[in-house]
Amino acid sequence: MLMLLMECHGSLFLRRERVKVKPGESALAFYTAENRSSAPITGVSTYNVAPMKAAIYFNKIQCFCFEEQTLLPGEQIDMPVFFYIDPEFETDPKMDGVNNIVLSYTFFKVKE
Amino acid sequence: MSAGGAFGGNRGVRPVPPEKGVFPLDHLHECDLEKKDYLACLKSTGAQSEKCRMFSKKYLECRMGRNLMAKQDMSELGFSDADVVVTPSEEKHKLQSPASDSKERK
Repeated sequence: MLMLLMECHGSLFLRRERVKVKPGESALAFYTAENRSSAPITGVSTYNVAPMKAAIYFNKIQCFCFEEQTLLPGEQIDMPVFFYIDPEFETDPKMDGVNNIVLSYTFFKVKE
Repeated sequence: MSAGGAFGGNRGVRPVPPEKGVFPLDHLHECDLEKKDYLACLKSTGAQSEKCRMFSKKYLECRMGRNLMAKQDMSELGFSDADVVVTPSEEKHKLQSPASDSKERK
């Protein structure tokens, strides 16, 4: 089983979660973001997978990322990611010892 | 594979868009209950997602029902008919007390 740790960066306050997943099985994970400023925040999220060598096995089925999203002041929102780890991960010797994959999101503010 | 630069992410692998698209944010918190059930299940199973598939399925079905996700067959998303809450009576029990359902799980 893999552990998927999640982090996030940027101008939003975010929480870290952990999900254990099996390669080949689709899984749902949640980030939570909160806009603690007094103005709406609009931006786009992109992701990073670590270790980098595992990134080729990480497949997002659906996520909140890649499109502009706006959070109103004080708004707290769930940001789900529906994904799977390619089953070939299990047979790749280069993945030996990779038991944790960290999925991080960075939220880039868009200037309006 | 150091194709970097897109979105400022220059750590090697170029970001790949999701296979089936983007979730709009659930600003009205319409699927909060389903989300909470899923997270409660994760908590009670030590974060094992395979044991909580019925709840993640319900969450996605909730999204589909409220235009927060494109409607599609659950089998296309990796779910089977086995990914349901076990029996009707257990389902009723789960709905009443979602955090206390670990008795039949190993």
